[in-house]
Amino acid sequence: MNLSRSDRRARLDRLAAEFALGTSPPRVRRRLAAIARRDRTVAAALSAWERRIAILAEAVPAVTPPPRVWRAIVTRLGLDPQGASTASLGWWQRLGFWRAFATASFVAAVALGLAEWRRAPPEGPAAPLVVVLAGPDAKAALIATATRGDRYLTVKSVGNAVPPPDKAFELWALPQSGTPQAIGVIPPGGLVRVPLVNPVEETLSNIPTLAVSVEPAGGSPTGKPTGPVLYSGAIERMY
Amino acid sequence: MSGDDSARAARADRNAQLAALLARVALGDQRAFAELYRQAGAHLYGVALRIVRNAPLAEEILQEAFVSVWHHAGTYDTAKSQPITWLASIVRNRCLDQLRKREIDTVTLASGPDDDAPAWDIPSDGPTPVELLLAGADARAVRDCVDSLDAGPKQAIALAFFQGLSHGELAAHLREPLGTVKSWVRRGLERLRGCLDAAGVVR
Repeated sequence: MNLSRSDRRARLDRLAAEFALGTSPPRVRRRLAAIARRDRTVAAALSAWERRIAILAEAVPAVTPPPRVWRAIVTRLGLDPQGASTASLGWWQRLGFWRAFATASFVAAVALGLAEWRRAPPEGPAAPLVVVLAGPDAKAALIATATRGDRYLTVKSVGNAVPPPDKAFELWALPQSGTPQAIGVIPPGGLVRVPLVNPVEETLSNIPTLAVSVEPAGGSPTGKPTGPVLYSGAIERMY
Repeated sequence: MSGDDSARAARADRNAQLAALLARVALGDQRAFAELYRQAGAHLYGVALRIVRNAPLAEEILQEAFVSVWHHAGTYDTAKSQPITWLASIVRNRCLDQLRKREIDTVTLASGPDDDAPAWDIPSDGPTPVELLLAGADARAVRDCVDSLDAGPKQAIALAFFQGLSHGELAAHLREPLGTVKSWVRRGLERLRGCLDAAGVVR
């Protein structure tokens, strides 16, 4: 099969399209990739389709990979860990990370989380503020809800999330810019309340995201997150 | 400045930065490589995770992709594609190779108690693939192109794109004959190409 011949262009184009989209059968996929390595016309058709298809990829939410991925890359390539350091900022200062993480977690967790929440509404019939807090695996771990006027957040555990011994989960509000604001330590238990000083709509006005970090029992001693962030989620307002 | 314009300007800016980083990576600059990972890693991990739906596998793919980028950054050609597109296609291709090789069960979304509902109304995780497809099309021209597809082709392309389903898996998931699904994909892609190329959104 000589795919470069002009009368085969239509066929090549279709094969390239399906290759880029990823629907080709494995055999065709391997074959086409092999041909593209030595045939420029085929390679050009594939890359044209990859460009068209990849433009659609922009909506895929970014998810911060675990630090071990970068460490593995550095090790595998024998790079200098100092020269190739990515840690120019404290992890909590990189708010882009929190937001991307929260969006991604939310997108992935919302169906599961909301379904769970609907099955067992923690408080009354309507909770017009819902946050599904999920980890990088996109599994919902905690669901925070509140109704307008509440001076507390109801936090329901939907996974098996428990803090390590002698540690506590602390809830943080992540503003659009600036440092995280402490909301409070989440008491142990499957369905608990985290008290707020002011009504929830005031406490969380202009806050797009909540996050949960691991802190010493009693909460962060510094007023900023000190332990790893395990879960985060975008605030969904229904009021 | 319209939203489309500012989104485009931001994208152009980001792409210019990535292209400069890739050029330095091609010369063996480790700092540039670290910065490239910092700027593009999360997007690419998101792409991998979305397609293979398995965190350890997505991590492995991201790792392999960056190892490959370190070795082959010199083959990136600014005239041919945007850097993020180039990087994303490396990741996508690895994902698809892995999926086809390992035959991982990616069709979990069709199971469940709602088996009587039309297959494409069953929520997977969060926005449906079609919603994502439309959301990603932030330039109006792209959105219009995606939107102009008929329901079947649009659904098939979105599922293939965001969940890495093969023809056979698409047919099973959409409960349509293989031939129908193949022709939806073919028609959808042809139409998409005509529309995208006419709008000049892909260079």
